[in-house]
Amino acid sequence: MILAVAGGKGGVGKTTLAYNVAAALDAVVVDADLGMADLPDGRGPDLHDVLAGAAAPTEALRPGPVDIVPCGRTLAGARAADLTRLAEAVAAVEREFGTVVVDCPAGRRADAGVPLAVADACLLVVSPRAFALADAIRTRELARELDAGLVGCAVNRVTEPPPVDPIGDALGAPAEVVPADPRVGRSVATERPVTTAAPESEAAAAVRALARRVPE
Amino acid sequence: MELDWSVDREGDASLVGFRVRNDGAVPRRVRIESRLNGPLLPPRRGGVPEAGWDAAGVTAVLDPGERTAFGFAALADPVDPPVEIANVEPVSSDADEAHETAAGGTDLARAAVRDLESYRPPRAAVDGAEGRHGTPDAGGDAGASGSDGHLPGREDAEGDGDAERVAARVERDPDQSATPESPRGSAAGGGVDAWFAAVEARIERAERLTDADLAATTTVVEEVDGLDGAGALDERVAADAERLRAVRDRAAALADRAEESEIPVEALEALA
Repeated sequence: MILAVAGGKGGVGKTTLAYNVAAALDAVVVDADLGMADLPDGRGPDLHDVLAGAAAPTEALRPGPVDIVPCGRTLAGARAADLTRLAEAVAAVEREFGTVVVDCPAGRRADAGVPLAVADACLLVVSPRAFALADAIRTRELARELDAGLVGCAVNRVTEPPPVDPIGDALGAPAEVVPADPRVGRSVATERPVTTAAPESEAAAAVRALARRVPE
Repeated sequence: MELDWSVDREGDASLVGFRVRNDGAVPRRVRIESRLNGPLLPPRRGGVPEAGWDAAGVTAVLDPGERTAFGFAALADPVDPPVEIANVEPVSSDADEAHETAAGGTDLARAAVRDLESYRPPRAAVDGAEGRHGTPDAGGDAGASGSDGHLPGREDAEGDGDAERVAARVERDPDQSATPESPRGSAAGGGVDAWFAAVEARIERAERLTDADLAATTTVVEEVDGLDGAGALDERVAADAERLRAVRDRAAALADRAEESEIPVEALEALA
């Protein structure tokens, strides 16, 4: 199973949710944000190297509480990356390690489209603010064109009860509310997924609910 | 199926254009292959071949009466006919849809690279890119960076924008590296040297083309990829001249200022 975690805008918490959902699925998370990587990186080869044909995908895997295929931080690396290699790279990780969660970049350029094309299903992350929804709808259209079935959407960092039903209707998938919780925000930097750091929290329950929507 | 074609020569390449028309009463899938003795270079967008193309030819579905035009290049001598219909088969619309959905993730990924905007950071944003300005931009790259509207004008970057940047380096680098270990002479840094070397190589080439005999001209023209390359070289050398003058003026102005500035070290020591 290859799950793309996408969202129209940057800064809505795609990376954080990708990491935490990967933890709940016991999956590998691949940082496909070629230009602005967010997941912690390591010393070895990264996704830039893999997409440049300089490393095997499984070599780039960095074990941790959640296994990560990190992405390089340089613009030169992003320029040298060949996105047409992503499908094979992600498939190789899936063969070896099972479920893969791909953290997509924002926008609707090729770097956002290719992970959706590669994925079997996708999860949309939306900010509860109204203006963010338009971008999410456009990304949803892109996912539809590229054959990535939408399994659900996460309304992220919610402080007041959002209009869940209209959002779900607009995106055509059940919406799950992830409340704002500093432990979620810290989870990537500290590498402590919220499902283990605070398993009783509402946020952890929401992450588990999202993970349950992902088919086997 | 009706098929007609034309072949143009451009340097070592044959440019083959052909039109195919479905004269039948049902939609048909047609496979057309190159007969040229050389690798086929299909039309590409974003570095990815257009849909239907592979190393030997193109496959397309045509409705009744529909006419479609194709073209490709090949590094080979032209033959007549340059293309042939390898296969024609009727398709029902259902079967066609099944064929479309059977396209795997790789095909979809290729389609995404081809049809969506380029994701590559512009060359000018990549560190150390100045050195690579030495070769004229490939067509694909020019298109890719053309879409990056926030760049202050790619064309500009080729002209005095670069000169500004190089000049800026000359200005900045001494501050950064004028430590006791690094004598001022080497402070200009490798970037400027590399740029000078690239410019010098281009000018040498241009000089060899100036008033040269036929044999020498042929060698150089081959080196720069034909007449188009020579034209591009001419433009670049003209741009180089402009840039070099800008650098010279700025360097002279800076040298004057450097001479005039005087740090009253003794007075500072007295104050300390």
